[in-house]
Amino acid sequence: MSEMGSQSDAVLVRRILAGEVELYQVLVERYRLEFGRYATAMLGGDVDDAADAQQEAFIRAYRSLASCREPEKFKAWLFRIVSNQCHNTRRGRRKHVRLDRVQDPPDESTQRQLEANEIGQAIQTALDDLTTEQREAFVLKHVEGYSYAEMAALLEVGEDALKMRVHRARDELQRRLEGLR
Amino acid sequence: MSGKERLSPEAQGYLDGEPAGDIGPEDRQAADQFEQAVQAYAGRLQTPDASVDRAVMAAVRAEARGPRRQSVWQWLVSPHPYSVRPALVAAAAVALIVLGRLLIDIPGIEFGDRPAQLAPEAQATILVRFELRAPDADRVTLAGSFNEWSPEGVELVRNSATGMWTATVPLEPGQHEYLFVIDGSQWIPDPNAHAQVDDGFGQANSVIVVGPRGVVRS
Repeated sequence: MSEMGSQSDAVLVRRILAGEVELYQVLVERYRLEFGRYATAMLGGDVDDAADAQQEAFIRAYRSLASCREPEKFKAWLFRIVSNQCHNTRRGRRKHVRLDRVQDPPDESTQRQLEANEIGQAIQTALDDLTTEQREAFVLKHVEGYSYAEMAALLEVGEDALKMRVHRARDELQRRLEGLR
Repeated sequence: MSGKERLSPEAQGYLDGEPAGDIGPEDRQAADQFEQAVQAYAGRLQTPDASVDRAVMAAVRAEARGPRRQSVWQWLVSPHPYSVRPALVAAAAVALIVLGRLLIDIPGIEFGDRPAQLAPEAQATILVRFELRAPDADRVTLAGSFNEWSPEGVELVRNSATGMWTATVPLEPGQHEYLFVIDGSQWIPDPNAHAQVDDGFGQANSVIVVGPRGVVRS
């Protein structure tokens, strides 16, 4: 399976549709990692909720794979399914970040760790209070590190509109962060 | 810290990746501090682990093993030999005309511009979510009549905070029997199932009934 990791999405999609079902695992692993922190951030920092959402999204994507009319744009197509599933999960569960779920770096002092937790919680709470569009744009930009051009291709939204969403999200987060200082 | 409740347009531009030439030191500091805080947050976010891959592929394999969705269509369009007496053909034609009239006269049923409906094959399987609370288990799988009772067929994903294990499985409409398998050896029925049936060996199997539009009873 490892040499398949270098295959393009489009090639993999066509081969899966032709009957090589096991190749779907390559796409699942690729995009579990690619969209993993996005899903966790969108779901209040809860990695278990993110795992549930990804699992359901990937199964739905497999069942609908034949309707992916442009395999070259599989990533954007799959992202819409993952994104929708995150929104559905979020609507159904309404959770906020739980500090015990945040991974602790082992080399931080207790005081610094407390501060980092406080900042992390403030950011997650602020993210949870944003509009869905603002939260999604901010997470793609600052958590996943996408450029505006990449975000525009993924979301099919203009770059100027995405910049506006990110700027508003930053302003809200900055206001919350200043409240801690 | 920076003391700024809003980031200036220059700081926003800097965070967008624009050249830092026009930004003043205060705005630069505010932007750097903001970036530092967000990166610290992002670095602590976890990515779902490979158990997602295993659960997805178990469901995909189960789906691939099941009857092909095209089979309904292929069955409809493939030739089937029948022998019918001519008298029966005439009787059937009359019956169809009468039935058609009756349907037209029933309120709520209209012919002509009816809304589009899903083809039967599009509803061939329903995604069903199974849950079991087993905080002490190291591994939980699902075995049932839908996967030939293979304990390796469907692996559930653990929620470490709640002790819940979950899996989403595509099932065809109908009645299915199943059990959870804990740590590969302990077969237990679903405590939340609406019904348990005798498996013929003195143990109980859980029952789930799936309709064409979702779970009917679970």
